[in-house]
Amino acid sequence: MSGSPALSYFVRRLSQAVLVMFVVVLGNFLLIQLAPGDLVDVLGGTTDLSPEQALALRQRYGLDQPLWMQFLHYAGNLLHFDLGFSPRQGAPVVNVLLERLPTTLALVFLSLFLSVAIGTAVGVLAARRAGTLADFGLSLVVLLFYATPSFIIALLLILGFSVYLPWLPSAGLSTPGMDLEGFAKLSDIGRHFILPVIALSTFYTAIYGRLSRAAMLEVLSQDFIRTARAKGVPERGLLWRHALRNALMPIVTMAGLQVSSLLGGAVLIETVFGLPGIGRTAFDAVMERDTNMLLGVLFMSSLGVVCVNLLVDLLYRLVDPRVELA
Amino acid sequence: MSSFGLNRRHLLLAGAAMSLDMTLPAALRAAPRRGGILTAVLWPAPQTLTAAATTAGTEMLVSAKIFDGLCGYDFDMRPQPLLAESWDISADGLRMRFNLRKGVRWHDGTPFTSKDVAFSLLKVWKVLHGRGRSTFADVTEVQTPDDTTAVFVLKRPAPAIMKALFSAESQILPAHLYDGTDILQNPFNLKPVGTGPYKFVSFERGDNLVLARNEDYWDKELPYVDRFVFRFVPDAATRAAMLESSQAQIVPNGLLNAPDITRLGKLPDIELESRGYEHSCGMQLMDFNLDNPHLANLKVRQALAHAIDRNWILRNVWSNFGKAATGPIHVKQTDFYTTEGVPAYPYDIKKAEALLDEAGFKRGAGGVRFTITIDPLPYGDEPLRAAEYIREQCRRIGIAMTVRTQDFGAFVKRVYTDRDFDINIVSASTTADPTIGVQRFYWSKNFIKGVAFSNGSHYANPEVDALLEAAQTELDASKRRDLFVRFQRIAMADLPSLPLVFNDRVTVTRKTLRDHTVGGVGPFDSQSKAWLAA
Amino acid sequence: MRRKLKTLLQHPSGFVGFVLLAAILIMAASAGTLYPEGPWPMDGTPTLWPGEEPAYLLGTDAMGRDLLAGLLYGARVSLAIGLAATAVALLVGVTVGAFAGYHGGLIDDALMRFTDAMQTIPSFLFAVVIVGVLTPSLLTIICSIALVSWPTVARLVRAEFLRLRSMDFVLACRTMGMSDVRIIFRQILPNCVAPIIVASSVLVATAIIIEASLSFLGLGDPNAMSWGTMIGAARPSLRTAWYMTLVPAAAVVATVLALNLIGDALNDAFNPRRRER
Repeated sequence: MSGSPALSYFVRRLSQAVLVMFVVVLGNFLLIQLAPGDLVDVLGGTTDLSPEQALALRQRYGLDQPLWMQFLHYAGNLLHFDLGFSPRQGAPVVNVLLERLPTTLALVFLSLFLSVAIGTAVGVLAARRAGTLADFGLSLVVLLFYATPSFIIALLLILGFSVYLPWLPSAGLSTPGMDLEGFAKLSDIGRHFILPVIALSTFYTAIYGRLSRAAMLEVLSQDFIRTARAKGVPERGLLWRHALRNALMPIVTMAGLQVSSLLGGAVLIETVFGLPGIGRTAFDAVMERDTNMLLGVLFMSSLGVVCVNLLVDLLYRLVDPRVELA
Repeated sequence: MSSFGLNRRHLLLAGAAMSLDMTLPAALRAAPRRGGILTAVLWPAPQTLTAAATTAGTEMLVSAKIFDGLCGYDFDMRPQPLLAESWDISADGLRMRFNLRKGVRWHDGTPFTSKDVAFSLLKVWKVLHGRGRSTFADVTEVQTPDDTTAVFVLKRPAPAIMKALFSAESQILPAHLYDGTDILQNPFNLKPVGTGPYKFVSFERGDNLVLARNEDYWDKELPYVDRFVFRFVPDAATRAAMLESSQAQIVPNGLLNAPDITRLGKLPDIELESRGYEHSCGMQLMDFNLDNPHLANLKVRQALAHAIDRNWILRNVWSNFGKAATGPIHVKQTDFYTTEGVPAYPYDIKKAEALLDEAGFKRGAGGVRFTITIDPLPYGDEPLRAAEYIREQCRRIGIAMTVRTQDFGAFVKRVYTDRDFDINIVSASTTADPTIGVQRFYWSKNFIKGVAFSNGSHYANPEVDALLEAAQTELDASKRRDLFVRFQRIAMADLPSLPLVFNDRVTVTRKTLRDHTVGGVGPFDSQSKAWLAA
Repeated sequence: MRRKLKTLLQHPSGFVGFVLLAAILIMAASAGTLYPEGPWPMDGTPTLWPGEEPAYLLGTDAMGRDLLAGLLYGARVSLAIGLAATAVALLVGVTVGAFAGYHGGLIDDALMRFTDAMQTIPSFLFAVVIVGVLTPSLLTIICSIALVSWPTVARLVRAEFLRLRSMDFVLACRTMGMSDVRIIFRQILPNCVAPIIVASSVLVATAIIIEASLSFLGLGDPNAMSWGTMIGAARPSLRTAWYMTLVPAAAVVATVLALNLIGDALNDAFNPRRRER
């Protein structure tokens, strides 16, 4: 349509996003200061540092400077995409995170895709046969998925598939000890992803199932559908071309909002399945008091969520110009 | 599904099988086969590949394959020749002369000389190593009259040194690559050059370490295997699976879940070995903060000792791997361990209650005498489980105990810097000699705020100090034993800490792997003699 | 109100939900009478299967603790944390949402940016960080759950307030000279009760899930017997003694299910237009 209002909207949203990121970074930085002890205390446990060595180490990591100075330092580095150094990993935080990001992205997006696909299919099916036993059965299954926390699903999957029906591996990203290349490597990694993706997606499958069922029912009862039916349009075509397209809107909205939630769920799933993603990195960083790493993960995930939200907003604007931008 | 105690019979049989092999005449013993890839599974992944400046387990274990030490040790922790072919100690104990093996080279071809020993002791062990600082405190210089002679000159005798010369504990670094550099940041920490039977090939941080046979090793026959690979796997169940499926042949250091160890031990192609940890003698201790008004009262500490059934903890928290502790010195430190005259505290709830009444802490409202907190070391699950048991026992005798969990950094700060604790549970490696491993907990001069695993209780008994200091420098073996015997008696009478369990760690291996544990240092030595049967 | 209650109870799935929740409540209430010593005594033989010994109906865990006792006391912990965290989240969320929605303009912008910031950090990750940093205890767990839950409440309340503030009765009150605070809490808020109540049931369910997840990861209060802690402790025995995992897991699922069913029933009761066909 017109470029100017869209552009000014975009600029406004962008500046809001920057402000949000600043608040996030400051908040996290302050939060972590509340923890008793610091990184040197953790390192001191295993390397038996003398008091002089502890002081030298603190100076090296800047832990002896006043708080506001440490923050300015950190914020300044952030602008250069320098997320600091992780003594635990012995590498710059950015490097470690970028190395582990693909695992989490794969987990999150595969789960999102799977849950949208299956959830929508289930919901549409249930809506079509609304009121029948099939509908009741599907709704019951959906409800159970909704009510079972992901880590319990994960444990049940591990119990079932790795112990009793040993078809699938229950931990790690790849089989240790094999030097696989190319397709074999990919399929090995793929096998390791199956259980984690299923575990992460059940809850969201239930959400999309319920949502799509409700949306479909809503749409199916509307006038233009009745008109099309009266005109003799085949049921199949009705379903796909008219009803689904309109029911898709709330699903897309939901999907955008779920990224944040999925990242949180990834922490749990990666920890249970031992996947080397940024979720597990975050958990380890909390336990090991790896401040830079933790701040790095929080920053990165917030950045990801902000970007996705911006994207969804723009997508909205493009897909349905009727949507108001206020 | 009943109890999962791996009973002593299994371990004895395993041990007997090993020793039977050892005593067979050489001709009948299976001849070691050359070749193959030996894979070990470990966790956590090492941050560096030398243990010269760290006491972390994985670093010690992997680096000992790359670096040889001055001595090896047999199952009684008696030093055996390695890089030092022979040694003699002067009558007054102030000069320790080591005659080094000739013709030994570093992996880069440079000859190994006494200068490397001198450099390592003076600039690394005494300065950067947590235990080395106290072990070698009395060494004032290391003379190097020639390339194959190193003489430690001491200002006071230190008999404990002879127990600390294995590579994992005191690692000799190449002076020509480290002298004059920032040792902790030296790039060779990640591509190590050593004198050991295995050379560095590649290191994928957090994933694996590959070593290959050192073809120029000073012992021409050794090592037998072509490659030694270490995989770092965080999940205990996966480690067990790898061993079961022959993807790995050895999982040392108790790195499997107890139910898995028991289950695997019953399989025909897997065996368990509990020897090989005599060098570390790990145990679990409960420190009482003697500055706490309740715990300052000896009767209260005695009551707690009577209320805690150490055998129960051994059975249910540590799955029977080990023995209930009877004193500060580990049962495997046979030179010094005793129970004669050492106060024992048999499990007796009634006695515990009586002692608390005598101490003046009667039950008040709700049957509670007083409240107290306990901080278990956040390393593994077991200290927390033990704390839960202890809390329950305390409830029975009227003490309301709260368990506090935190991460490692917070624990160290709380216990050793802020001293904001009442009781803690720590796991400690008491090493092969009490001077190195036990003294630090009971010596009043080791009460240093900010230093982890120091004198946490704030115990100060001049008599004990005198005994420990005398034992530090006493050369006569029987006199030294006598000093430690008296120490054990007083330590258990004063009870500043309550030792809970003497831990046994287990190495789980496939039967195809032979000769992996040949002495008290076990999997922490170079394992140059290990070989894979067909 | 009475009519709404009647509708609720006649709703089939809502009824099931109520029955389930009542069962859980009874479990929590009876814990003290059935097991006066608490869930921690380790008197039983470890790793007993359910039914192996009559005294231990649901078996024992690896340390010899009665699983049934753990189940009953765990109910207390879950419900207590669920309710407390929800209460705090409601308090904060309603206040923020009400002020933002009523005043609009700059206040609304500022408050919403702040709410946005809170919502960009993935909730569970944030909860882990908060509990990990402040060291685990019932208090820190409640705080962390409340901190990640209030933004949803705030948005909900704000939406309602935006809808209601321009209505006639509000304009009338303003003309009468009523103070803003009075209008917000005495006039508008009572009209939003319906969506808040519906949201509450979901909040409690979410709180219970977060608490169970935190405890499972080892970040639970070590002095409170929680279902999540039980599941976490059962992990090494998953292969050989899976009942230790299943018993507390079933309890968690049943509770969350009950709350969701009740939430659905409440939703249908308060929004009859949207009742499912």
